[in-house]
Amino acid sequence: MARKKKALLIVDDEINVTRTLQMVFEDEGYSVTPAYSCAEALKIMQNGHQFDGVITDLNMERDDIGLTVARRALELKPQPVVIICTGFANMSNARQALMMHVHYLATKPVELDELKSNLRRLIAIKDSGQKAGR
Amino acid sequence: MAPNRSPNRTNDKTALIVHPDMTVMSSLQSAFVKNEITAIVARDLPTALLAITQHFFDVVVVSSRISEEGDGWTLGGVLRLVFPKAFVMMIAPGTDLMSLKNAINHGVDEVLEGTASPEQIVSTALRSASVAGKSPTTPKERIQ
Repeated sequence: MARKKKALLIVDDEINVTRTLQMVFEDEGYSVTPAYSCAEALKIMQNGHQFDGVITDLNMERDDIGLTVARRALELKPQPVVIICTGFANMSNARQALMMHVHYLATKPVELDELKSNLRRLIAIKDSGQKAGR
Repeated sequence: MAPNRSPNRTNDKTALIVHPDMTVMSSLQSAFVKNEITAIVARDLPTALLAITQHFFDVVVVSSRISEEGDGWTLGGVLRLVFPKAFVMMIAPGTDLMSLKNAINHGVDEVLEGTASPEQIVSTALRSASVAGKSPTTPKERIQ
């Protein structure tokens, strides 16, 4: 039986970035749902979709609104791996991300191999934790 | 590495302190013990790794520099993996953006500046859910 693809939600208001990340992660074997705004991402998450990972930009409709996406994603059950991918990290939003227990903060320009390997690693940790009932 | 147990312990919380400076390590240990938290100390990576195999930790305090700059972050990541419910704190030279990014990416819960007093560090630990709330103490409880 074929192994179920890991599902990703990629949120970025820059279409070029979203499409590129979608292409990269689909090539890695993930099933990718793109969203081009915080509002769209929240709507998708509300619809009962389950994701293994959520990768979100920070500045979309307004500065730091990606933290709202991250916060909502962290509330999902089962909880996906939440990655913030931004070119505008600062002390304030990084501190908020830390307090929320976001799993990874990547700064643009993103090193794709690093992002791919960390996502894979974090999903594997989540999977093993969920199997152990944590 | 022998644990310094607090007298008349009322709970069974245990902290791991990994810091190369003996003075800092001792004062942190005393501060934890005063708050009835058993404190196990390590000055280097091999001792810290040995402690991981022998104890369960609710709180971890690690210096971002153990034997070379930045190696504490890697240890912090390992400790997060081994003790997923522990409160992991890092003592870094400064809480700049790079420190916060390192903290997020290594699963560290809090970054404190090197200038933070032992009392501040312990009070931060005491406010955490890992210490304030119940955490598993046996391997069986840990996987349930």
